[in-house]
Amino acid sequence: MQQLLALTAKDLRMLARDKVGFFFAFIFPILYSSLFGSIMGGLRSASKGIDVVVVDEDKTKDSEKFIVELEGLEELKVARADKADAQDMVRLGKKRAMILLPEGFGRARRQMFGNPPHVEIGLDPSRLAESGILQGVLTAQLYKGVQRMFSDSAAMDKQIDESLQEIRASKDMDPATKMTLTTFLPGLKTFMRSLPEGGMQGGGFPQPKIEQVDIMRSESHPTNSYQISFPQGCIWGIMGCAAGFGITLVVERTHGTLVRLRMAPVGRAQILAGKGLACLITTLAVATLLFTVAAFVFEVRPSSYPMLIVAMFCVALCFVGIMMFLSVMGKTEQSAGGIGWAILVLMAMIGGGMIPLAFMPEWLQSISDISPVKWSILAMEGAVWRNFSPAEMVTPCAVLVGIGVLSFCIGLKAFKWES
Amino acid sequence: MLHLKNLRKKFGDNVAVDHLSLDIHKGEIFGLLGPNGAGKTTTVNMTVGLLKPDGGGITINGEGSPEDPKVRCRIGVATQALAIYEEMSGEENVRFFATMQGLGGALRKERVAWALDFVGLTDRRRDKASQYSGGMKRRLNLAIAIVHKPALLLLDEPTVGVDPQSRNAIFENILTLREQGATVVYTTHYMEEAQRLCDRVGIIDHGKMLALDTVDALIEAHGGESRVIAKRAEGNVEISTSDPLGELQKLQATSTLQTFRVEWPDLEHVFLNLTGRSLRD
Repeated sequence: MQQLLALTAKDLRMLARDKVGFFFAFIFPILYSSLFGSIMGGLRSASKGIDVVVVDEDKTKDSEKFIVELEGLEELKVARADKADAQDMVRLGKKRAMILLPEGFGRARRQMFGNPPHVEIGLDPSRLAESGILQGVLTAQLYKGVQRMFSDSAAMDKQIDESLQEIRASKDMDPATKMTLTTFLPGLKTFMRSLPEGGMQGGGFPQPKIEQVDIMRSESHPTNSYQISFPQGCIWGIMGCAAGFGITLVVERTHGTLVRLRMAPVGRAQILAGKGLACLITTLAVATLLFTVAAFVFEVRPSSYPMLIVAMFCVALCFVGIMMFLSVMGKTEQSAGGIGWAILVLMAMIGGGMIPLAFMPEWLQSISDISPVKWSILAMEGAVWRNFSPAEMVTPCAVLVGIGVLSFCIGLKAFKWES
Repeated sequence: MLHLKNLRKKFGDNVAVDHLSLDIHKGEIFGLLGPNGAGKTTTVNMTVGLLKPDGGGITINGEGSPEDPKVRCRIGVATQALAIYEEMSGEENVRFFATMQGLGGALRKERVAWALDFVGLTDRRRDKASQYSGGMKRRLNLAIAIVHKPALLLLDEPTVGVDPQSRNAIFENILTLREQGATVVYTTHYMEEAQRLCDRVGIIDHGKMLALDTVDALIEAHGGESRVIAKRAEGNVEISTSDPLGELQKLQATSTLQTFRVEWPDLEHVFLNLTGRSLRD
């Protein structure tokens, strides 16, 4: 027992004296659980601020009114655009969905009979988890219109009068139906007047029609779910491989070989670049292997192989740069490895690599742009199924290369020969 | 070959090297001795450019300071900690560091073969370093240090943890390197090694050079007196003297000596006399 307690005390003492180890044992879990708690809190309170773009092809007062109503919802962050731009925004991953109000939407929403209001939504295929929430929000909002109509007798009177005028003027309505409606609607008007203040709540009127439409380019459909999940899996593979290289500089230091390298006419930049290149080659080999398996086993067919090569290179370069920076931070192999994984997991969490961004609190969503994981997913998906053009690929790739190079330079600055 | 002038280095409030000046001549084996924490490793680290001095200067071979990569590649280092890649073979290790030193092609091939042969590892060159014994790893450490034919070789405790055969082989190697014109700076805790190998020895403590001379001169100046220990019928006797032979003759004249021995002062006596006998942190 004495020995057991002595061993335990020794390990605790050593942990307390290793500053980095102490941070990852005590401080990091607090940060980590706070972050996870925030994310899960956001998840439980349903979606907050799904980024949507609304296309108004109806261009009526009613459609405008509906858009204003949507803009007032907490659940949505609404932008407006024409159809082509909206489709591009969703395809490029800038917006989660497009909501299209087709011509006749306002009239259909206003009338009690006839065709129900029709809304088209075009979703980012990688964000299907959010489609249910979006459909629910839209349905609720469309029903509110019906509810309002039944609770406002003046509006109802006006609507019934308009309907009667149209029915009487109609030449292609069969006489029996015309007769029924011209008898029923004045009766309904009388009935509505007899209702107490506030009118009737709810009603059994036609269900709004929400149709999901395809907004992707014709050649850029994900052929199966692996097409969507594999780019993310590949990014995890690249991150894991890069994290493994994070300790190599510490190993050089602790094994004394760094002193030997110091003797040689090579600079810190060459040493770090040499390690980075080895890391880059390995991560690219891992990514290539993953996509080969994906192609043959899971039938993942990238929409553009050259774009995929560019995306893989940029993603690998980014994480290699980050790992080279982190590798100079660690004093021991354990702390270097710990730092590497901790930072990568954080980046993945912030960047939507673990939980869709829409489920995260607003403040987390707003900082997701700094996570290379977000840009990595975008670049890989752009090459695999979003069918990005070279111009569309420039932004994510430039951000990734920029982060990689910047991280490498900071690492180089922080690199000291002596420990 | 190596010129240190007024070298200074502090770590916080701790003065590691305090105005140290030293000249090491071409082709000599120089022993740098000192207790733990005396400033030996800091001096070596500054000499190879790993640490930047707070003050003073270092000149190697009259060419400049070790900050300059061209100057630095004139130095070879065999660190106390084995600086080798365990998962690479002996040959791969030597070839890698030869490449780092800028060697290539036929010259590199020749130098790698020479270095491995020099330390007696040719037969095992294709084995992983992790499969080597402690002595073989030490020899590989030395091979890597000399593969680029450095003019100045720094050997930091190069015989720690090796068997007498490997130690002897390393001594032979060092002496051969000197014959070939190399200058060697040798740090060790083993006084008999320094006494056997070094042309001159410097003893430092608290970052200062306490004494610097040939081994014989140091013993003469700081070794103290010899001790004569004799066993007689009347009882044992121990005498400290500067003339042990004279004392023995006197003892023999006055009594019957059963056994006797003379303890001559050596480098260890010099070391203890200069640095004291108190334990160091």
